[in-house]
Amino acid sequence: MEFLLNPYYMQLITFIIINAILGISIYLTLSTGQLSLGNAGFMSVGAYTSALLTLKAGVPLYAAVPLGGAAACLLAAIIGIPTTRLRGIYLAIATLGFGEVVRVIILNLKITNGALGLSSIPSMGVMLSKGIAAFGLAGGIGGISIRQLGSIAVILVLALILWFLIFFALRLSTSRLGRAFAAIKADEHAAEVSGIDTRYYKLLAFFMGAFVAGIAGGLAAHITFYIGPKDFAYHRAVEILLFAVLGGSDVVWGPIFGAVLLTVLPEVLRFATEYREMIYGAILVLMMAFRPQGLISESTLALWRAKLTRQPKIADQDGVTRRTTP
Amino acid sequence: MFLQQMINGITLGSTYALIALGYTLIFGVLNIVNMAHGEIFMFGAFIGLILATTFNMSIFSALLGAMIAGAVLGYLMERLALRPLRRRKVSELAPLISTIGVSIFLESLALRLFGPQAQSFPSIYAAQLFEVGGLKISAVQIIILAISFGLMVALRFWLAKTRLGKSIRATAENIETANLLGVDTQKVIVLTVMLASALGGGAGVLVGLAFNAIEPTMGITMGFKGLAVLILGGLGNITGAMVGGLLLGIAEIFSVAYGVSSYRDAVAFGFIILLLFLRPQGIFGSKEQQGGR
Repeated sequence: MEFLLNPYYMQLITFIIINAILGISIYLTLSTGQLSLGNAGFMSVGAYTSALLTLKAGVPLYAAVPLGGAAACLLAAIIGIPTTRLRGIYLAIATLGFGEVVRVIILNLKITNGALGLSSIPSMGVMLSKGIAAFGLAGGIGGISIRQLGSIAVILVLALILWFLIFFALRLSTSRLGRAFAAIKADEHAAEVSGIDTRYYKLLAFFMGAFVAGIAGGLAAHITFYIGPKDFAYHRAVEILLFAVLGGSDVVWGPIFGAVLLTVLPEVLRFATEYREMIYGAILVLMMAFRPQGLISESTLALWRAKLTRQPKIADQDGVTRRTTP
Repeated sequence: MFLQQMINGITLGSTYALIALGYTLIFGVLNIVNMAHGEIFMFGAFIGLILATTFNMSIFSALLGAMIAGAVLGYLMERLALRPLRRRKVSELAPLISTIGVSIFLESLALRLFGPQAQSFPSIYAAQLFEVGGLKISAVQIIILAISFGLMVALRFWLAKTRLGKSIRATAENIETANLLGVDTQKVIVLTVMLASALGGGAGVLVGLAFNAIEPTMGITMGFKGLAVLILGGLGNITGAMVGGLLLGIAEIFSVAYGVSSYRDAVAFGFIILLLFLRPQGIFGSKEQQGGR
């Protein structure tokens, strides 16, 4: 138990969940076949908005994080409205440029504290542990200190948000909206001829992606209590892209799997830290050449589902034993 | 003052134009945005620097060496990252992602090879100042202007008049038809990528001379500016890339001269966002060049 409650593991789990949320944000935009490279930019907008609201205006944390998402959405409108009329490449370049513009602006504004970044942002763990203490558990419970309780609560809150987003994404894929997204991804012209307002749906997907990225940024700010303009530069954008490329973007599990893998692997392969970016680059090239749909695609899911459900059925038909495997 | 800034702007802009030409050539022929172009440019700058300092070569042979290095990198990129994608039908975003992979690979490689600190060319050229009617022009500026405009004119002529240039344009027009008409499109593609990368490598040396600071991260910044010019001039439009580059250079110099110097790197994309509202096909692009929609 003590082993699992190690702050290092707790920190790792929170990072995994935040990266998984970022994976969902790029998945939402990609589900219409659009590539947005501005997720790092939207993340920074969410992070800075939420951090500044809590630091300077005293807005409570639970209100500031969604407001950060809304701010990201607002900025998404500025690039999204002109670019969704055009081919996908325009959106990719414009969002990449947007990330750069945001970084330069944050670097130069007084309120964002320039290159130094914002520190001592109100911590979510502290807020939650105060709440727990108010319940009369200030001394901890069963050998778990109040600090650890706070961290556990943070993980629970994040997991809840992630669960909700996964639920949302899964429901989306079978809804009218999700089918419109899939139609646009498969063939934009055909979708338009079938009476789908492609511009509206593309914009909507882009907004959803930006909102989720903004939320992830806000959460990250209140967990690490420090944000600087360097945290959200080009490399961050590439890393988020990598989640979707490695894991796959057909189904929501793909980018989540990619995010988990790419957060855990660098921790395990510490000796290769110096070559991390090179490995990332090689992964991008290799995936595009050999498996552009990513590690997890719809057919892989179907395959596993079949494997997991077929076996008992066959056994039933035999009527002999449940342990025989084909 | 105004004319002086104008000259500075045109000098800077001509290097941007050279970078953007590389993007535009590849986009025209292959219909992809080469995100690794900025890093090839950065490698060109470092190779040129090493040739000029360690091997004491003249600036012109250093430039040539950088262009050759760029062409070699371009060849490798085409073989390893682009050709495997052409064999199978993939979405148009796949090569974009693949070249992003090449870009961060090269950047990280440069960090290991050359170190993170900024390095600079020997300052023998910067010191000489010529005065023409009250305007100050440094020898570096003259070199940059001469080389970049020389390269641009040569490229225009080469594309318009020679057999290879014509086959490049034919491939850009329609790759299947060009193939049917007997153009070896595979060869043309390799040639185009190498040519574009050589221009990038050469631009690296020129920018290194102009800014006097070469570092591994410059590939991203300058690559972004080249991308901005690509959209500004219209995707795949060669005249557009040249004029767009000059415009961006002038705009940046004036934004520095009249106040907002720290926002210099944001000027390019401010331009783009404005342009996407007003004229999404770029300044010189025709309606069809919007790409389908």
